[in-house]
Amino acid sequence: MWKTFFEELGAEVVVSPPTTQVMVSEGSSRVVADTCLPVKVFLGHVLSLVDKCDYIFIPAVRSVKSKIYNCSKFLGLPDMTKAVIPESPPILDIEIDVNKGKRHLYQAIYKLGRHFTWNPFKVRQASLAAWQAHLKYRQLMSSQGLTPPQAIAKMTGEVELKAPTSTQATIALIGHPYILYDEHISHRLIHRLEQADNKVLTPEMLTTEELESATTRLVGKAHWTYEDEVVGAGVHYLETRVDGVIGLMTFGCGPDSQMMDMVHRRAAKLRATTFMSLTLEEHTTEGGVVTRLEAFLDMINRRKRRQIEVCV
Amino acid sequence: MEAYIGIDVGSVTTKFAVVDKDGELISHIYLLTQGKPVQMVQQGLTQIKQQLPKEVDICGVATTGSARYLAGVIVGADLVKNEITSHAVATLRHIPEVQTIVEIGGQDSKIIIIRDGIVTDFGMNTVCAAGTGSFLDHQALRLDMSIEEFANQALDSKTPVRIAGRCTVFAESDMIHKQQMGHHIKDILYGLCQALVRNYLNNVGLGKDIRPPVVFQGGVAFNRAIVKALQEELNTEIIVPPHHELMGAIGAALLAHEEMVSSNNGSKFKGFEASEEKYHISSFECKACPNLCEIAQISINGQVLARWGGRCDLWERSPSN
Repeated sequence: MWKTFFEELGAEVVVSPPTTQVMVSEGSSRVVADTCLPVKVFLGHVLSLVDKCDYIFIPAVRSVKSKIYNCSKFLGLPDMTKAVIPESPPILDIEIDVNKGKRHLYQAIYKLGRHFTWNPFKVRQASLAAWQAHLKYRQLMSSQGLTPPQAIAKMTGEVELKAPTSTQATIALIGHPYILYDEHISHRLIHRLEQADNKVLTPEMLTTEELESATTRLVGKAHWTYEDEVVGAGVHYLETRVDGVIGLMTFGCGPDSQMMDMVHRRAAKLRATTFMSLTLEEHTTEGGVVTRLEAFLDMINRRKRRQIEVCV
Repeated sequence: MEAYIGIDVGSVTTKFAVVDKDGELISHIYLLTQGKPVQMVQQGLTQIKQQLPKEVDICGVATTGSARYLAGVIVGADLVKNEITSHAVATLRHIPEVQTIVEIGGQDSKIIIIRDGIVTDFGMNTVCAAGTGSFLDHQALRLDMSIEEFANQALDSKTPVRIAGRCTVFAESDMIHKQQMGHHIKDILYGLCQALVRNYLNNVGLGKDIRPPVVFQGGVAFNRAIVKALQEELNTEIIVPPHHELMGAIGAALLAHEEMVSSNNGSKFKGFEASEEKYHISSFECKACPNLCEIAQISINGQVLARWGGRCDLWERSPSN
């Protein structure tokens, strides 16, 4: 969406490359050890862009839903970046806060567009195009079951997706996209699951309505922004009886640890779907993740085999 | 006679178990890994060969434990399985009604929850190795006593002292402090056992539905003081099966049998001659991307058998070149 917006305004967009070990360590070196892993990774990405562009776009996403505010790390991202990466190119920071009303949002977008053009109509056109791109992206994921990286690849026409072959089990992953789709942080979890012939479902494949109603069923009104990705998706997949649900979170995230616990309790109550949560941090070795994943899949497959035997 | 070998290469010990086609244990070996997994697997093969009667025909081999991939390449395993599945399979065979398996080994500890003969949940210790065999060994060494004496002394304790078991660093300084205050060593030792059990239940066993029968296995189950502490904490009888230290290897052997029966292929077992081959292990840093993965490779006569350790498939995909 933002890529379309900037390109419509005639700017060239540079996106940071996939996370590497170097990015994680450089990002970590800029902040105190207690900072959560996603922020360290984020700063690593900013550092990788320092010499490559004239501006870095870092919105301060305060809220995207009524009366639900975002994690303080998100609110302060532009300011934090300015403080710890002084060599960074100028930062385009806008405040996105739907609680301040539509007018505030429009003003923020025009303010952003002003860096590239004086013509407000052009900004308007660019934002409409961006919104269309976003809708198409959402639609690709929820109707065709694509993951965000796949949806983006399809929109930019980069690769032809191969159809999934036979499947052992259907595994749903829940967690924030910045953890699930970061192959470095998640130790290629999706890839590993697919290699073992499993069908992988993620939160983005559900519609907003499905997510919201599932969250409401468990906790009533959501407390945190992006709670739907964990609680909503978790509850939805547990109730629709997929074979297994894996919750992915990073160490040190307060809301995540509570949300995962709620999903865990729900899973224990329903007793139909196997649930496992994996906590990742920068020192996590692949061995630990692989062993747990193997044991988890064995558990599901042995259980399925037993059920078939019972039926026969 | 048909037989199946299970090899469990853990961080501290290497276990071999040989079972016949009915799943009965024929032969077993328990070795210290001593940081040399390749040599120990080879040594174990030699010893197993000597123990087995001549007419035995090895029909399948499986490996498990943290060095399972490495061991699998050396012996030509038909199956490489994780420790959780292996342990569960072995225990279910011996104690079919089991509902909870507590396993404490050298470097890691696990809990496996079983209902109706199926694994329904499991937990493993995260980065922290507090409360595993290595720490107990280290403390016994510091107090200049064998691990058997450690257990005996701890069992004698009447008034155990409270030791902070959250973290080994704190546990050790707490132990030294209590020592310098004049508490009996036996009370400190049993206090440590209680602390480790508490730590285990609060970390690994957190949120798990622990129900009897509880089976305790792994090397640490040798320590009767820990068994007693666990029994007191859970307030239920703890079953320590015979060959509890071999459960991983037995499970692997049983799984090898299962695999061979269902696959109908011949075994990939390289034969006992694998113990005489000269394996060469080396590692290098991959420079293909900024991740600089450390790739380990195992080769024989200059021919690479396998590589692993990369974050991507670059090296694992092409062992031939």
